[in-house]
Amino acid sequence: MRHIIPLLISFLGTTVHASTSPSYSITDIPAPPTKFKNIQVDGLTFLPNGKLVVCLPSGEIFFRDLQSETWELFAQGLHNPLGVLALSNSELIVTQRPELTRVRDLDGDGKADDFEVLTDQFGMSGNYHEFNFTPVLDQKGNYFFALGTGSSGDGVRTITRGVFNERGRPGRMHSSAPYRGCIMKFTSDGKTIPYSYGHRTPNGLGFDLKGNLFVTDNQGDWVGSSKLFHVQKGRFYGHAASLAWKEGFVGTPVDAPTEKLAKMRSRACVVFPHGTMANSPTEVLAISEKANFGPFAGQLLVGEMNQPRIVRVMLEEVDGELQGACVPFIDGSPLGRGCNRMAWAPDGSLFVGQTKHTWAGGQGIQQVSWNGKTPFEIQNMELTSKGFKITFTQPVDQALAKKKENWPFNRYFFEYRRAYGSPRSDETPVEVEKITVSPDATEVDIELTELLAWHIHEVKIENLISKSGEELSNNYIVYTLNRLLANTPPDPLQVKLAQFNTSEKKK
Amino acid sequence: MPLILCLFSVFLFFGFSSFLLGESKENIHLKGKALYNGAGSCVACHMPDGQGQPGSVPPLANSDWIKGGTDRSIAIALRGLAGPIRVNGKHYYSAMPPQLLFDNQKLAYILSYVNQAWGNQERVVTEREVAEARERLPQAVYTPQSLLKKFPFDKKLNRKNGTFTPTYDDLITEIIQPIIYRTFMPGASPAAFAVALPGNHYFCWDAGECRLRYIWTKGGFIRNNQVHWASNGKPVAQFNGTPYYRARTTKLLGQTFDQLSKTNNKQPIYDTSQADNFPITIKGIEDKPSYLGYRLINQYPQFRYSLGKYLITELIRTNKDLSGVQRTFSLSPPAPIKFTLTPTEESSISCDQGKMNPDGTLLIKAEDSARFSIFINPKKESN
Ligand code: HEC
Repeated sequence: MRHIIPLLISFLGTTVHASTSPSYSITDIPAPPTKFKNIQVDGLTFLPNGKLVVCLPSGEIFFRDLQSETWELFAQGLHNPLGVLALSNSELIVTQRPELTRVRDLDGDGKADDFEVLTDQFGMSGNYHEFNFTPVLDQKGNYFFALGTGSSGDGVRTITRGVFNERGRPGRMHSSAPYRGCIMKFTSDGKTIPYSYGHRTPNGLGFDLKGNLFVTDNQGDWVGSSKLFHVQKGRFYGHAASLAWKEGFVGTPVDAPTEKLAKMRSRACVVFPHGTMANSPTEVLAISEKANFGPFAGQLLVGEMNQPRIVRVMLEEVDGELQGACVPFIDGSPLGRGCNRMAWAPDGSLFVGQTKHTWAGGQGIQQVSWNGKTPFEIQNMELTSKGFKITFTQPVDQALAKKKENWPFNRYFFEYRRAYGSPRSDETPVEVEKITVSPDATEVDIELTELLAWHIHEVKIENLISKSGEELSNNYIVYTLNRLLANTPPDPLQVKLAQFNTSEKKK
Repeated sequence: MPLILCLFSVFLFFGFSSFLLGESKENIHLKGKALYNGAGSCVACHMPDGQGQPGSVPPLANSDWIKGGTDRSIAIALRGLAGPIRVNGKHYYSAMPPQLLFDNQKLAYILSYVNQAWGNQERVVTEREVAEARERLPQAVYTPQSLLKKFPFDKKLNRKNGTFTPTYDDLITEIIQPIIYRTFMPGASPAAFAVALPGNHYFCWDAGECRLRYIWTKGGFIRNNQVHWASNGKPVAQFNGTPYYRARTTKLLGQTFDQLSKTNNKQPIYDTSQADNFPITIKGIEDKPSYLGYRLINQYPQFRYSLGKYLITELIRTNKDLSGVQRTFSLSPPAPIKFTLTPTEESSISCDQGKMNPDGTLLIKAEDSARFSIFINPKKESN
């Protein structure tokens, strides 16, 4: 969740055409009977028994029986529960502002009666932006949750929780209370540790099917455009403030030379270009085997709060690190804005909960179902030695696929800087050298005249239809090319030095 | 406007105003004050000092509603006002009946007095103005919407004044079942509870320091809280009453709740790692308390926290006769405890075990520590 002003500006730049394939349909789910008018969805999952679980800003948790179409109130009194996991039909794990909490119904009357702190060993300055996002649980019984930084939109409260750290206070988004801007790990033996650093608004953790942990981040200071990170222990992902809590880091993080920070940071595996792909990415959800959602198992879905969109992400390992592409997937009305939380229903359809909390977004619950017909979509985009191999879900029209002018590639990068966001830097068209279409017409191999590491490569495929004449539902795809298959040059850091100073002082 | 007309209207103004304007300010003030404070007059609700009553009646002293809106005040007095309103940033949801006891002249004196009492700096109101309004204004009691459409605020005052959409909390009057909210509360760490108990006793319990912060009963439960939940989370909950019990700590001395509600501080007054005066002391234990969670016992919250190797539970309910709050503690394993309470003018404190000293210290023997209750009741006269 981010500041409103740049959000509005970014709307003007939106030019991508994309839409939901006719193979998917969207149904509205009636709102839970809360006595507090608000039905923004902050947490959403399913119980083992198949009931839908929904957390509302009011601190209420409702269950919905999808067969009888009835709601029941399970719990109340939570503080902005921005994520929920179901351990059993009567036991939930919730991230609420002050805690990671186990919510249980002990006497079996269907209502929660015990709220146990798993951990509250992290700080709260009381700044509104210090959200506590999305609990996830790994195979070994460790929990992870994500702590938002405080916003320059306000200060801190008169009493703060946890040791106040002045070094984390300066800057736009701040981390004056312990571990704000970190992904936290609560280990199976009860320890609470900062697991990774450098997050700004990490609204959405999720595992892929191999057990890799991912989190999104929202554009802003130190985040040139919104991102997806592969979360690994001890790493720093770019937003400076939380370095105040990193052992061995000396001084005030925001005052450190940008180059020094750039050298420390790990790159995103996917960048969502601002204005065209996503402005406020949310939860990460793997397309699991039990999902009934088309030929995309193993890929990731990422919600986008700002516009009615769910993005699909495909990753590959290159030179030991994950990187890959993103493409709009479920896109445009009747999907609502504010897609914040997602989960697979027992029937394999996707449930989406929408929220806004005064940012651009929406409210409500929707179900996205696949009708079993293969959509005409990009299935995958992989790096080759000279370009990219793009695979389609259906054979493509060979003649159209072979036309170079239908593949207008562009490349650019976002600067790493303290100032808010970043323009697309050095944006350059990249010419296609050669196109090869596989005999079955599902793979298009594209050689570019130049392939530049550490640059985002995007293409808006034009005029392409399938062999059977179907239009490509989503034609805009962006590959975050960090590493090449061989001979990757060192990270050029892409910092703009000192240019933030003027804007920062004006504030 | 042509010059003639302009002069004419100036003349008109003075002409109509002559009656009250002819009098000295002191005279108007004295007559108005007497009428304001008379039986059945404004004083019954808005109080002699114009401060109103927390939670139920808005203040007239320094009220933005008085500013630049003498016509508005006349309309309120003549026709009444009912509905949710914001006055200087605080919410009220009540009704004021039309003030029918006063003729035009008397009401002019009263409103002139209100306009200039307690630091208000508005002009004198004339009998003629009241008379015209009485003729002209529609008969119905004003809703905030209909009133403000006719008499809108100056832009500067718009943010803190006007109407609001009532939420569930505004509609609660009598508490039948305990209500447990977690939200930002003034005078507590950000990890706070706001709880409403049957009998309309309300308290703030701070999970950041494992302590009861304060209890109040007048003025209703917290307001503005749903905005905190549904918006970005900036607003701190408000309540209108004055606590009858407020636990003492050396870290907070004398700040008002308004001051403690501030969110735009550069740094805190203190952080919870510096918290002191934990009310429960056990010999040899230096640890800070650690919050573990709560359980609902017949819907009432039973908080649990550890202090070193000890486990403490604290169940907070209303007394059987709803007259006050009962805190039932258990300590395990048992040990002698020194419990420090904060005696106040507004409350009486007692315990079913041990001996209460006048300074608020209570000594609990080990054998009683497994279960003891502390009772905190508001004193009648203050509530
Ligand atoms: C029976 C109690 C009662 C009496 C008597 C009463 N008021 Fe009020 N007054 C209220 C209440 C309650 C409100 C708020 C109404 C609401 O919530 O919509 C109010 C609101 C107002 C307001 C607007 C809000 C503000 O605080 O500025 C003014 C002005 C006002 N009263 C003036 C007067 C004057 C002048 C008199 C005497 C002539 C008077 N009232 C008599 C109860 C009363």
